[in-house]
Amino acid sequence: MSYKIPMGPYHPALEEPYKLDLICEGETVRDAKLHIGFNFRGIEHLAETRNYIQVIALMERVCGICSNIHTLTLCQAMEKLTGQTPPPRAQYIRVIMAELERLHSHVLWAGIAAKLMGFKTMFMTCFELREKVMDVLQAISGNRVNYSMNRIGGVNRDIDDPAALLIMIDVLEKEMVRKVIPIFTTSSTARSRCADIGVLTNAKAISLGVVGPVARASGVAQDLRRAAPYAAYAEMDFQVPVESAGDVRARLMVRALEIMESCNILRQALTKLPPGELNAGEGKLAFITGTATSRVEAPRGEVMYSVSWKEGSNKPARVHVRTPTFVNMPAIRSMVQGARLADTPLIQASIDPCYSCTDR
Amino acid sequence: MNSLTTALARLLVFPGLLFAIPAAWFFLWVERKSVALMQGRIGPPFMQPFFDFIKLLGKTTPPRNGLGGLLMKAWPLIAVSSAAGAVGLLPVLPLSGGFEGDLILLLALLELPSMCIIAAGFSSRSIFGEIGSAREAVLSVAYNVVFLLAIVSIAASQHTFRLEGLAALQYSPLHLLGIAAILVCLPAKLHINPFSLPNAEQEIYSGPMTEYAGPELAMWELSHGLEWVAATGLVATLVAPHVTVWWLGVLLFAALSFGVVLLLSVVAAATARLQIDTTVRFYWQCTLIFAVLAISSALFMRFRL
Repeated sequence: MSYKIPMGPYHPALEEPYKLDLICEGETVRDAKLHIGFNFRGIEHLAETRNYIQVIALMERVCGICSNIHTLTLCQAMEKLTGQTPPPRAQYIRVIMAELERLHSHVLWAGIAAKLMGFKTMFMTCFELREKVMDVLQAISGNRVNYSMNRIGGVNRDIDDPAALLIMIDVLEKEMVRKVIPIFTTSSTARSRCADIGVLTNAKAISLGVVGPVARASGVAQDLRRAAPYAAYAEMDFQVPVESAGDVRARLMVRALEIMESCNILRQALTKLPPGELNAGEGKLAFITGTATSRVEAPRGEVMYSVSWKEGSNKPARVHVRTPTFVNMPAIRSMVQGARLADTPLIQASIDPCYSCTDR
Repeated sequence: MNSLTTALARLLVFPGLLFAIPAAWFFLWVERKSVALMQGRIGPPFMQPFFDFIKLLGKTTPPRNGLGGLLMKAWPLIAVSSAAGAVGLLPVLPLSGGFEGDLILLLALLELPSMCIIAAGFSSRSIFGEIGSAREAVLSVAYNVVFLLAIVSIAASQHTFRLEGLAALQYSPLHLLGIAAILVCLPAKLHINPFSLPNAEQEIYSGPMTEYAGPELAMWELSHGLEWVAATGLVATLVAPHVTVWWLGVLLFAALSFGVVLLLSVVAAATARLQIDTTVRFYWQCTLIFAVLAISSALFMRFRL
């Protein structure tokens, strides 16, 4: 006999409201239906009513975790429409902010994953570490969540003392290697919860078009930082971790290795930080008529902005956002089919869903 | 008359209700506080479990009509009284009385709260309650075999089902093996990590307790606390060396129970929640071997004697 278990829109396993209707037989999930839209705020419409300064502040509030990525992508698109080019120092600072945000997001995700396994001690360890990443972000931008670093043609604030930040990065990396990564890779209870569950095969990953760590954990080696470098990523030397198993453990491993790579990129960027201006200069901007798109690799995968403008206007005609969760979400359905009910919270979390981005 | 007074004193004063209820709150606090400290949190204030209880008692719950409503009210009360009875039976004081077969009664009383939880989940008619109850039932079948085998083998080696006889037992390999087996079962009995399946909040909210609120929930909390006292107390009485001074006995009992609570808290803080099939496999595979060892050594000792 099958029965339906509603998971959400308000549920202890979910960070944000969305709903997963699980059709179960005993403890086995046969099928799932996904409902989104509980967090709709009409931000894309609001963007059409804001001028080019205000729209950056608005889009920063699409997401509470990857706020910097949204303004970065928007600014890159608007730079195409205004013909501005950010100076090299600004490009480097953008890389530093993006990588710190990736660290922040991945550590936060590790904490959530630990909580869903019922491993609250690990959750606390991860969130303690996340505080330290946030301290670094605060040291640079003065803010902990919405950093307001990006502007059209550059960045708003400088990094005055890269050497001091390097020390903080070293401490972070040491803690990651010492505490977070071993618990997920060697703890037997944690391993028994992650291995061979929520498998997404390589073929399925390609046909569903998943992005980011979810794709890389299924053997799809795609990363925009490598495939279509933006900011100063072309000058960075880094690996793109790829796993082939496609289960929750592989997604965990990919994120753990990405944490290490982020530390590596941060160290390079801070060491090589070139001198120079922070932005392309003050003054009124003139937009051309047309549509510009920009893509960046957010912690969860590819974010794309499509910005349309009419010449002479100071407001965008249309701002369209495509977030990684929107693309990864349908994969949940094929991941939970045949899974145990106890694993579904962890499986749905393994794509690192962000519904405030998706619903906007 | 004298034996009746003793029995009443044991049930109502020590180690019964008067001692057991504050001890239950204290143990709940110790568990929450020690786990919090291990996780780098501050944890609840000392009086929190008591405040929770009083606060819940003061709430009004939506009325539930018919037999279902009546049953939902009855289960927590049965659970509290059986857990309190189990604590009352523990042979803490030297020469505290008891009767032949009180071990069997203790085991039955220890098992009743978990039966009540199963029944409560199903009577609440919530899907989360039903899944939680089903998990509790599977879990209880899995760990009880080991739990009962461990205790029965210790008792069989002594030719007695009297608790006092067990408490006075000298240390032997069988005895230690049995205690270890009981300790392995306690996390499942008390629903703590790694066997916190029936109340896995990230999966099924609080399982059988999902539909409970107010005074009934307060009773469940109390019965949970009393289960802590009874289960850790059982281990404490088995571990405690035999003493004839009553206050030393009480002190030893309290200190050992406290130690067991701390040990269980460490286990809870250091582990993730296991899945139901891993849990069942764990209990049936590893600890069955464990208990078989105990039984064979019990038989061996019996023939040798």
